[in-house]
Parts: sequence; C-alpha cells; structure tokens
Amino acid sequence: MTTQSDIAVQGRSGSQFELYAWFFTRVSGILFLLMGAFNLTYANLAGGRGVMGAGAQMRWAFFPISFHVRSTSVEVTPNFSNPFWQVYSFLIVVFAVTHGLNGLRVILEDYVRHPLLMAWVRVLLVAFWFFLLLAAIFLVFVYA
Amino acid sequence: MSKLSRVTLLQALRYRGGQPMLAWLLHRIAGTGIILFVSMHVLAGFFSYSVQGAAGSVGQVVNSVYESLPMQILVLFAVLYHATNGLRIVILDMWPSLIHYNREAMWIEWALFLPMFLVPASLMILVRA
Repeated sequence: MTTQSDIAVQGRSGSQFELYAWFFTRVSGILFLLMGAFNLTYANLAGGRGVMGAGAQMRWAFFPISFHVRSTSVEVTPNFSNPFWQVYSFLIVVFAVTHGLNGLRVILEDYVRHPLLMAWVRVLLVAFWFFLLLAAIFLVFVYA
Repeated sequence: MSKLSRVTLLQALRYRGGQPMLAWLLHRIAGTGIILFVSMHVLAGFFSYSVQGAAGSVGQVVNSVYESLPMQILVLFAVLYHATNGLRIVILDMWPSLIHYNREAMWIEWALFLPMFLVPASLMILVRA
C-alpha cells in the first residue's frame, strides 16, 4: 500500500509528478464513489427499484448518459443530453480513465525493469489515455 | 523494485505477508480486472455499433462473455473490493496516525465488504428472471 507514496518521497529530483499522481488517485477515487452512489440513488428513485438487474445498475452508476442507459427500465428524459449531464458524464470518464491508466502505470513500473521499455510503455499509456478521452468527447458531446 | 528479479515464484508463494499483503494483491488484481472489463466493454460497443459485417459479430461474442453471470459476479467483486479497500487506504493516508489501527481497519473493511458483496451476489445466483 505504500508503493506510490514511497516513490513520491524519493521522487525524481525536482519533479512533483508522482506526488500529484498519488493525490489525484485519492481524490478521483473518492469522487468516483460519491458520483456512483448519487447515480445509483437517482436511478432507483426514478423507478428502477426492484426492476433493474446488476448490469443495469452498473450502467447507471458509472456512465449515466442517455445512449448508455436507454436499454434499462428507467425512463430516460431528454434532460439527459443537457450540458450539465454531458459534463458530469465526461468527468466520470476522465476520472476513471486517468485513475485506471495511472494505476496500470504504477503496477507496470514494478514489473517492467528495462528503462527504455518502460519509457515506451509510458508513451503507449499516454497515447491510449488521449484516445480514450477523445472517444469519450465524441460519445458524450457529439453522439449523445 | 529491481529486487523483484531476485525473488523466485516459490519464495513469493512461501512469503507470509498476511492480511496487508492479501489486501495489496487483491487491490491490484481487482484494479487490473476493472481495466480489462472496461476495455472489453468499450471495444464491444465499438465493434457492434460501428463495424458492419462479420467483424461486427465480434462485439456480440465479447458481449456474451462479460454479460454472463460468473463475469457479472467477478466484476461486482472487483468493483466493490477496490472501492472499500481504496476507501480504507484514503482514510489511512489522510490521517497517518491511524495506521496503528490498520489491523482493525482491515477487519472493519471485511465486515463492510462481505455483506455488500455476498447479499447481491447470492441474489444474482438464486433469483434469476
């Protein structure tokens, strides 16, 4: 459990990146929990209680934008394509993708020991991060 | 980190890290599992909605894999465990003096996690529509 903070203490000289990554992981984790709890509460109060299966609950909890939850039994109003819900859903994706890919980087840095290979892994992760964020922008703001 | 290369698999299996090591290991496995699941989900959506023809059925195949009951229960386990264990880590990181009560925190964590996981999981197995 101390892996990340240990790295943060040693650090590369002058770089605060690991410290910010450590802090972001905590903050995004808490926000993700709160957002998921809020979305689940909304979906169950809005008519999903007793009708939705586990899959539908998770669809609502983690990505409540219209095209993603249309198949569930809760009515999706046109309100779900308003800017607030779009920004909210986009933020969920940003938190999840950044938290997840940074966690993957932390794990890989324990197992990939060759520095050059690790540099390429980092480039690959950043590229994947940008791709996923672009896909999320398209899905949330253009497609939905 | 480079010390890892000098540890053999047998030594690793024999190492008795107890509860904290189990939490560390499960946190990593659950996190990797969530990344795999979300990637599968996004790729399946992409294939079944935007690729026509034979390749489009790849999406249906992936869908049927992760929508199966065992996978749903695995995903529920991964998400819930990663969330409760992550909450414990955040709380202990915010108030570092609480690290003395790490053992108690882990038992509280299991007490919260097990009902939250076992009740829905058994309902998902027993009450099938």
